[in-house]
Formats: sequence, C-alpha cells, structure tokens
Amino acid sequence: MSALAKYRHAFLLGLQSNIVYRWNFAIRALFSLFHLAFVFILWGAAYKGQTQIGGFDLDQTLTYFVVLLVMQFFIGAFNEDYQISEEIRNGLINQFLLKPINYYGYRFSIFVAARSVSGLLALLPIVVALPLLKDHLVFPHEGWRVALGLPAMAMAAFIQFTIAYCFGLLAFWFLEIQSFIILSLAVETVLGGQMFPLDLMPPWFFHLSQWLPYYYQMYFPTAIFTGRLDMFSAFSGLALQAFWVVTLLGLAHVLWTRGLRRHTAVGG
Amino acid sequence: MNLLSYVKIWLACARYSIVRTMMFRFDFLMWALVEFCWMAVNLLLVAVIYRHTDDIAGWTKYQMLLLVGTSMLVQRFIMGFFWSNLFEMARNIRSGHFDFFLAQPGNPLFMISTRKLDLDGVANIFVAMAVVAYAIRELGLAPSFVDLALYALLVLCGVLINYGALLMIVSLTFWLGASQGIEGSYFTLMEFSRLPRETFRGTANVIFVWILPAVIVSNVPARALLHGFEPANALWLLAVTILWLGLGIAVFNRGLRRYASASS
Repeated sequence: MSALAKYRHAFLLGLQSNIVYRWNFAIRALFSLFHLAFVFILWGAAYKGQTQIGGFDLDQTLTYFVVLLVMQFFIGAFNEDYQISEEIRNGLINQFLLKPINYYGYRFSIFVAARSVSGLLALLPIVVALPLLKDHLVFPHEGWRVALGLPAMAMAAFIQFTIAYCFGLLAFWFLEIQSFIILSLAVETVLGGQMFPLDLMPPWFFHLSQWLPYYYQMYFPTAIFTGRLDMFSAFSGLALQAFWVVTLLGLAHVLWTRGLRRHTAVGG
Repeated sequence: MNLLSYVKIWLACARYSIVRTMMFRFDFLMWALVEFCWMAVNLLLVAVIYRHTDDIAGWTKYQMLLLVGTSMLVQRFIMGFFWSNLFEMARNIRSGHFDFFLAQPGNPLFMISTRKLDLDGVANIFVAMAVVAYAIRELGLAPSFVDLALYALLVLCGVLINYGALLMIVSLTFWLGASQGIEGSYFTLMEFSRLPRETFRGTANVIFVWILPAVIVSNVPARALLHGFEPANALWLLAVTILWLGLGIAVFNRGLRRYASASS
C-alpha cells in the first residue's frame, strides 16, 4: 500500500508541474490542428475521382487521422527521453539511487500525469473544430472494438514510454542523444502509421511492420477504433503487443543496470 | 563598413563553422542523416499516396515530386544558413547574450543571421537538388540554362520569404520573452508548401495562399519549370518577397528598440 502511495505522490506532483505548462500544450494542440488541415487538404485532393483508397473511403481515412491526433496527446511520448537524459547528465538521478523508489515507476507516474493534462488540453481545439469535423467522423459500431482498443491503447502507452525511457538512458553512454531521438522519431512516424495508414503500404511491408514495436505505438489502437483491423488481427495483435511490452521492459532493465555500472555520480 | 568587409566576415564565419564541424564529425554525420531521413519520410508519403491515385489536383506523381523537392530545397537553404542563427537569437534575447551582437562593429541583423553555417543542412541542399533533378528527368523536361537560372531566382525569393517570416516569428521574442514553441509554428506552416496550390479552396485558399506565404514559395518555382516562366506569378512572388522581408526586418528593428538587455 505504502509502495503505491509513493507513485501516487509522484503522479500528483507531475500533474502540478504539467499544469504549469498548459499553454505550451495548448499551443502545441493548436499547431496540430494546422497539421490536421494539411491532412484534410491532401487526402481530400487524393480522393478526387475515386471513392475508395485501400478499401476505405475519405471519411474513414480522415477519422483515422483525427483519432491518431487524440492518441498522440493521450499516450505519445513527448520529451520524456530528453528529460531523463538531462537528469542523468545533471546528476539529478543520484538522489533516486539513494531512495527506496524505482526510477522507471517514478518516471512512468509523471508520464501518466503529463499525458492526462496534455490529452485533455488537446481535446479543446478538437471540440472547437467539431462543427467542421463532425460530418467527416465515422466510427464502426461493434462493441468489441472498444473492449480490445482500450487495452491496446494502454499497452501502446507502455511501449511509447519505454522506448523513450531507453533512449533517455543512452545518456549513460553518449554525451548528446538528441540526434538519436529525432532519427528514431522519423522511423516511428512512418512505421507507427502517423504519416499514412500502414495498410496503404504494399502488403509485404504491412506484414513486416506488424512484427516491429512501432506498429503497436499508434497504428494498432487507432486502427482497432476506426475499423481498419478485423477481430482476428486485433486479438493476434494484442498478443504480439504484450510480447513487445515485456521485451522492452526487459531491455529498459538491462540498460538501467548496465548504465548504472558506468555511471559516476558527479555533483548533485 | 563596405560590402567587401561583410563578405570577409561571412567567409571567416563560414571557415569557423567548417573547422568546428570537422571537430565533431560524428555529430555532423548524425544530423545530416536525421535531416535526410525526414526528407525520405516526406518522399515516402508521396510514393504511398500515388500507389492509390494517379493525380492530386491535376499534378502527376513526378510533378508532385518536383514540387516537394522544391519545397525541400527552400527549406534546406533556411536550415543550412539561417535556422540555428535565428533560433539562437531568441535564446540570446532571453538570456541577455544578445548584447554581444550589438557591440559588434556591423549591422546587427547581418551579424546575427550569418554567424554560423550548419553544414549538415548545406549537405542536404544537394540531396534536395538531386530530387528535383530526378523529377525533371522522369518528366522528360529539358530546361534551358535560362529556365534553370529563373528557377534558381524564384527559389531564392522563396528562401528570402521564409527568412523574413522566420525573422518575424523569432523577433516576437522581444515582446513575449519566454516564447517556447513559437519557432515550431514555422515548421507547421512549411508543411503546406508541399501541397499544390490547386488543392486549396475557400478559407484555406485565402489563408495559406494569399495571406500566409506558405504555398507560393514552392509552387511558383515548380510551375516555372513545369509550364514555363509565367511573368504574373513571378511578379506576385517578388512582391510577396519584398513584403515579408520588409515585415521581418521592420518587426526586428522595432523589437531592437525595445530590447533592454537582461539582468547580468
């Protein structure tokens, strides 16, 4: 019980410090509306002269991008990797080595707090734009999509955070990790389906992507909610997603213990 | 100071940037790779959409590639020559280090804008050129030397427009102080330069084509290669160049008058 209380406090602290940055999140959400305008203009023009692309109509594709946007603000990692690398570099991490708290658990609690704030703030511009959007939003009605989509979303959050966490820990080995992060962001953007729905890729590429963790970051939960995956693919996907969660947690643990061995606590 | 001294200063800064880059070679390679990958991501988007359609607003695949390549070319020039200088200016205004530039014997705007070259951005200018060249070849175009020179001039106009817009955004720091994230608005805006003008209708047309200089910076040069030189379009671009460059410089000068340094 008391073990949970520690992380509850970390969560509450995270909530407070992230509410301070509410304007940053709000501005970011506003920019993302512009990105949504880009998506609507581009795909609207691509659909001229045909009703279906890859078996989905325009509104289904636009719904995919709107849900993806909401997903990014609720479960996406923003700059957790950078924050963690800074804590390592500054020596702030030393205090956690002396206290009975798990660093991953501590950071994850803050991540959940941050996403609660940014997720709710991201809904604001979408609600404002709703009169324009609502005619384009089409959702399938099967109940199982919610039942499987929510755990997929939760595991996606774990994968997002753990990948960011691992990149942050690279600061034990490298002085500057920002280029690694932005490079991996480019890979995640494509293989996570943020640039285009992955099912529009050639079939061999789509199948290959399903074996990679990126697929389960954004595309997978979004595709369940918006009707781009059938029940069988959703179930088998959940199994592979769980595999990736465990694998990445293992990797994070290895990097942490190895990194600490290299770590020399300077200053702090 | 005369023009020659400015050229000398610029060359000295360029030399310093090259020496610095040679010192951090791995860093240079990584950042060049990062930019390269992001360009590839955008090209991939074009490739994927054209797997499922033959034209977007009347633009075929390779015409679209020419447009995206032109947009990249403009943006790589900004990234290579101006981005980190202007980005650091915002930081310096906040920290008070900006004083250092005012103390230098030369035009402050010149000193700020040309201090550093980002060689990774400069290297990717050639990648963007290759994309444009590839599109030209696939389209079977045979531009004459004059065509290419005009295209280069129009791209230069695009670069100056972007510089003006970016300078204006960054100069807002004089008023706003902590303005994290406003620099990001530039990238959001530039996304629209990868779209054909014909895709914009109604309100979007007014905002992104007429009010904000997002669409024409890439569309006018690309069209000049595709359909020949159109004087009306070129004049439009020139007028917008003068307007945005002027606006950027005016806002900067206004801000400069407000600047009262930061506490030591």
